[in-house]
Amino acid sequence: MSLSPEDDLSAAEYALGTLDPGERAAIAARRQREPELDEAIRTWEERLSPLAEAVPPIEPPRDYLPEIEARIHAPAPAPAAPNDTVAALRSRLTRWRAAAIGATGLAAMLAIGIVFREAARETAPHEFVAVLQKSADSPAFAVTVNLDTRELTVRPVAAPAPTGKSYELWIIEAKLGAPRSLGVIDPANTTRADKLAAFDPAVVKDATYAVTVEPPGGSPNGKPSGAPVFVGKLIPVGP
Amino acid sequence: MNIGPQTPPEASVTATAAELADLLRRVAARDSAAFATLYKQSRAKLYGVVARILTKGDLSGEVLQEVFVRIWEKAGDYDVDKGSPIAWMATIARNRALDEIRRVRPVSLDDMPEGFEPAAEEVDPLGARDRSERLSALMDCLRTLDEEKRKAVLLAYYRGFTREALAKRMQRPVPTIKTWLRRGLAQLRDCLS
Repeated sequence: MSLSPEDDLSAAEYALGTLDPGERAAIAARRQREPELDEAIRTWEERLSPLAEAVPPIEPPRDYLPEIEARIHAPAPAPAAPNDTVAALRSRLTRWRAAAIGATGLAAMLAIGIVFREAARETAPHEFVAVLQKSADSPAFAVTVNLDTRELTVRPVAAPAPTGKSYELWIIEAKLGAPRSLGVIDPANTTRADKLAAFDPAVVKDATYAVTVEPPGGSPNGKPSGAPVFVGKLIPVGP
Repeated sequence: MNIGPQTPPEASVTATAAELADLLRRVAARDSAAFATLYKQSRAKLYGVVARILTKGDLSGEVLQEVFVRIWEKAGDYDVDKGSPIAWMATIARNRALDEIRRVRPVSLDDMPEGFEPAAEEVDPLGARDRSERLSALMDCLRTLDEEKRKAVLLAYYRGFTREALAKRMQRPVPTIKTWLRRGLAQLRDCLS
């Protein structure tokens, strides 16, 4: 096991729950792509878990079983493995391209300007997409990055609106240290940003992208207020 | 449900690890009756875990529901070699509660759960009556820690305190708390291995 002693203790504090929200978000994102860190967190959870045996029971204020049963027996949304999600996005891109090519008239092009830009992808091979999701069957946002222009586009796929809160997008990469905000994103409409211009292309390409729930207008202190609710990594798309 | 006479509420504390493990196996095979029994026998324990970390009754109830949905989904992942069923389920409950509290706001010391006596908040695993082998081993190691390191680890585990909340509670600077936690955890790891 080549995990550094420092990372093992970060895993320990993650399992114990003592990291502050920013550090917690960073570790939560890193464990998605660092199996050793993920394993260390699980090992720490197992080490500490016997403590739960000593917790005195508290009877819940009411019986939740009917609601729980309703939830587990509700028809599940059509399952989609990550690759299926990507395939679905790709096929949608293809349809968009076809639509853009078929579209006539400036008004139509303006109305679907986003589609038009994607149709131009053939000449811009440095495009990447990340599907930000909670789990494989719940894609929430699709993030598209043009590595040449460092332009960032965030499209809602099926993001539930956070009532009275804002979604904020973060870029997380070891070289950056703490997560960096890419701004508040809209759960209902496409959001564009050029904030990636400040980052090295290699960092942009390898980073983890994460969405947190923040007070309206975004994090007040420039740090994530909690663990990410959706997370994903970029993959190349197009030819 | 087909488990004979009405299960008394006390069943929640008397179910053995073997019984719970059997229920989890049946839940993994999508046995709804087994799930209902598992809920009855573990709800109070898991609510105890969640309600000590979250400070609002309605939030704890919501999280408890999500925890059981997750147990239904993940029952097949339970591995008897990695701990007791209740420890496995409590880890799911604890992680869900921690994610919730870190997302909403930091734990406030002034904001106790409803009907919660401050005296009742200090869970003392050293005084636990029914100890599994794993808990006994962990307690033996906890005893080797300095008093303040042990207290910091236990408050963090049972109440979900961050370093900052621990610093306020224990009236020490945050870096001191961080040092205590990391030394204490490293000591526990070495002791357990």
